[in-house]
Amino acid sequence: MWSSCLVFLGAVALSLGISAALLATQGRPPLRAMLLFFDGAFGSRWALEDCLLKAIPIFLCSLGVGISFRLQIWNIGAEGQFALGAVGATWVALNFPGLPAPLLIPAMMAAAMVAGALWGLIPALLKIRLGVNEIIVTLMLNYIGILFLEYLVYGPWKDPRSFGFPMTPQFPDSAIVGTIGTTSINWGILLCLVLAVAMFVFYGYSRRGYELRACGDNVRAAGYAALPYSGLIVLVMMVGGTLAGWAGFLEASANMNRLQPTIVVGYGYTAIVVAWLARLNPFTIGVASFLLAGLRVGVENLQLELKVPAAFGSIMEGLILLTVLAGGLFVHYRVTLRRSA
Amino acid sequence: MNTEIVFSLLAAAIQSGTPILYATLGEIITEKSGILNLGVEGIMIVGALAAFLTAKVTGNPVAGFLAGGAIGMMLAGVHGLVCLGFQGNQVVSGLALTILGTGLANYFGTPFIGQAAPGFTAVAIPGFSAIPGLGTVFFSHDPLIYFSFALPPLLWAFLNHTRWGLGLRAAGEHPEAALAAGLNVTGYRWTGVLAGGFLMGLGGAYLSLAYTHLWTNGLTAGRGWIAVALVIFAFWRPGRAVLGAYLFGGVVAFQFRLQAMGTHLPSSLLLMLPYALTVGVLVFSCWKKRGDEAPAALGVNVEPAE
Amino acid sequence: MKKLVTLLAVVLVFAVGIAAAVDKEMKIGFIYVSPVGDAGWSYAHDKGRLAVEALPGVETSFVEAVAEGPDSERVMLNMARKNYDIIFATSYGYMDPMLKVAAKFPKTVFMHCSGFKTAENMGNYFGRIYQARYLSGMVAGAMTKTNILGYVAAFPIPEVIRGINAFTLGAQAVNPKVQVRVVWTKTWYDPATEKEAAKSLLDVKADVIAQHQDSPGPQEAAQERGVYSIGYNSDMSAFAPKAHLTAPIWNWGPFYTGVVDSVRKGTWKSESVWPGLDEGIVDLAPFGSMVPKAIQDTVMAKKSELASGKAKVFVGPIKDQAGTVRIADGKTAPDGDLLGMTWFVQGVIGTLE
Repeated sequence: MWSSCLVFLGAVALSLGISAALLATQGRPPLRAMLLFFDGAFGSRWALEDCLLKAIPIFLCSLGVGISFRLQIWNIGAEGQFALGAVGATWVALNFPGLPAPLLIPAMMAAAMVAGALWGLIPALLKIRLGVNEIIVTLMLNYIGILFLEYLVYGPWKDPRSFGFPMTPQFPDSAIVGTIGTTSINWGILLCLVLAVAMFVFYGYSRRGYELRACGDNVRAAGYAALPYSGLIVLVMMVGGTLAGWAGFLEASANMNRLQPTIVVGYGYTAIVVAWLARLNPFTIGVASFLLAGLRVGVENLQLELKVPAAFGSIMEGLILLTVLAGGLFVHYRVTLRRSA
Repeated sequence: MNTEIVFSLLAAAIQSGTPILYATLGEIITEKSGILNLGVEGIMIVGALAAFLTAKVTGNPVAGFLAGGAIGMMLAGVHGLVCLGFQGNQVVSGLALTILGTGLANYFGTPFIGQAAPGFTAVAIPGFSAIPGLGTVFFSHDPLIYFSFALPPLLWAFLNHTRWGLGLRAAGEHPEAALAAGLNVTGYRWTGVLAGGFLMGLGGAYLSLAYTHLWTNGLTAGRGWIAVALVIFAFWRPGRAVLGAYLFGGVVAFQFRLQAMGTHLPSSLLLMLPYALTVGVLVFSCWKKRGDEAPAALGVNVEPAE
Repeated sequence: MKKLVTLLAVVLVFAVGIAAAVDKEMKIGFIYVSPVGDAGWSYAHDKGRLAVEALPGVETSFVEAVAEGPDSERVMLNMARKNYDIIFATSYGYMDPMLKVAAKFPKTVFMHCSGFKTAENMGNYFGRIYQARYLSGMVAGAMTKTNILGYVAAFPIPEVIRGINAFTLGAQAVNPKVQVRVVWTKTWYDPATEKEAAKSLLDVKADVIAQHQDSPGPQEAAQERGVYSIGYNSDMSAFAPKAHLTAPIWNWGPFYTGVVDSVRKGTWKSESVWPGLDEGIVDLAPFGSMVPKAIQDTVMAKKSELASGKAKVFVGPIKDQAGTVRIADGKTAPDGDLLGMTWFVQGVIGTLE
């Protein structure tokens, strides 16, 4: 456990080093850039709040993606499931504006759950019935889901008062998840905590959770081999879809207060990085989500202060993942050494 | 819809499908060796930028084309290093490569958005291009497309009729047996990864040197992923890959022509067509498969001989 | 005695004020919705920013590709906390976040492009690029032989729709038989997709291709087929010298420097402004050599009329695609209607979503 922590930190440090070197090749001061990056991400109360706020959807998507990774089911569809969840929640908010918040919010969550789970169910069914590769299906469903959201927002759901711009009318107050006190963090963080505890209990103490952990160790990679436990596959994909859908619901309700195409910003893909870095432990998923949220916020500061192009964030994410992957070798061999000793 | 539009559509299908064809053939050779490379999208776009910049600096599109392949090969080499050298998980490594490659291309390419590079233009093959119908569809394209016509049979011959190709396939089907027989499985897999990366880079280069002569962030627009899907549709056979690539290219071209002709269908729904088709094609392939097309050891890391 | 003290205080405040105003370097921030250079839109604004950067005593910065919504709010808060003096946000979706931030930072000047909400320290602005599109439409209408014009359009938002309508009206003014076919790419920056869209228009016999995106993809397609094209925003003539007729272009520099000057002098006030040809914020690119002098003269004459206000683009009778009269005979459409335009004029063949 500690060796993998060390390797992880080493990998992150290495990728930061490469990133800084990259900046240097373009004439930007690497040390100052790194300081600006950290300051922008964690250097003030607002920055930390921003990181927490961004971490919420990343955390939810990562929990969902992480479960399926454990079964070697590669759910790349969190982005589309996120969009569908936002769509479901919006449908409720727009069609039942008169309901009071204690009824409306759970209804929105239920709709987001149904929509997101459905988007996860499709690839699951195709996989267990026909053996269709879930990587491609979930990825294609991302594109289709986002286009579907765009269709709704440009067409039937467009706000007549938005001067023709693609956005739904603003949600009624009862549909908006509020912020905690004077911070900018919304109550969605409570949902994250509840789910984290629930996941922890599920993995550690339930029969299904035990099956999940056991199954993952036995299954061969890359999904072309015959897979047992079809029921588990459907379960993890639907749970993943639900969680990503709830992330979409929170973004639409708490942060945007409406639905716009720009709600989709790549949390689903960041979730893949987090899920791989943090495996199944909700605690490490939380930490990794926070760090990757920090990455996004920090890069913005770099843009502002050093005119670094926005794409830099992707480079850092990719590097971190690759270095951690490579670092996995050392963990593996250390474990083997210990066993044979 | 008159015949002229149909022929024009078919020609457009070939043009639109060619970058995907290059990438699909590249992924086929990689997967045949047992390595799953999901970084196609990242490799293609890095190849596109490399080709663009090289052609711009040297003024020579052929140099650009080759550079695209070379840089694609280098990025694929990272995947090879992580998977073959460090035994890293192939799926995640590929995904990381897509994220990294896309980021790198966008980062280094931003200053060049909106600029043009010398590229390839259509060269009508004398005589053949005058054939009504077929002439427009097959013989009025740029040199890179003609080159891509030659690739599928070459790849097929390599995989099935050369010793190297057979060794590569063995590395993908029965790596343990191959190891026991003394074959250098790692070496063959490296070949698969690097050669595949080269072809994927060429596919990207096609986009920035022939399909357009421009660069912009996001030039590949998801074509790399379509290629991964088409490998499955093609049952890992180069010939069928051609069918898949042109089919996909055709749908993309078709939905625009529908719009131009004045359809009332919302464009968002039309734009879904290529992706929905990809899923449909996959489902169809899996429904029809016999179960033995995929390389048996695809995606499985094999520890090198002690 | 009191009077003396008051006088001294006033003089002191004045002196300090003047000193502060003179010595302080102004920090100006820009927020773009897309990467600079991608969509033409952000690229044009950034050119304006560079004009501001050239002013003495001014330091500018920008953040690009900022998603509308909470991300943009965070970026604006960041800038405001760093004591930026003026913040320009260049996309409709930044409007509500900007309003929230403006309320928290009353000393900062906020300027929002393409919206309609204002506050005491927040104004909005836009540019009448549709005037230039009208003029480019005149050129296209005059040069077409098939009477079919193709328009590669990005997203069905009012600015794009308004541009298509103005283009069509301009073309119809010189050639009543013309029709404009629209293809949506749902991209702001994808030359491959946009070129394919242009090719599909060429396949239905369009012989002038206009576009809303900034990539020269459609220009290339037009040149390859030997027909004409209308660019957007920059010198696309370099890409398609035989095809490029002209292009509507933005010129934000004078506007931005004007705002900075007014803030510096203390004369800035919150208002909604929509300048166009009259203030040189929009313009028409130089004509390609293939455009006959007679057409050039007609278009330039119209340009001065539009600039002086003698003529307007959206003057009735104007019917929509279904034939309903939307702008009555002799009436000019009010700005509010133009800002929220979601219908096509008759003669446009295409969907609106």
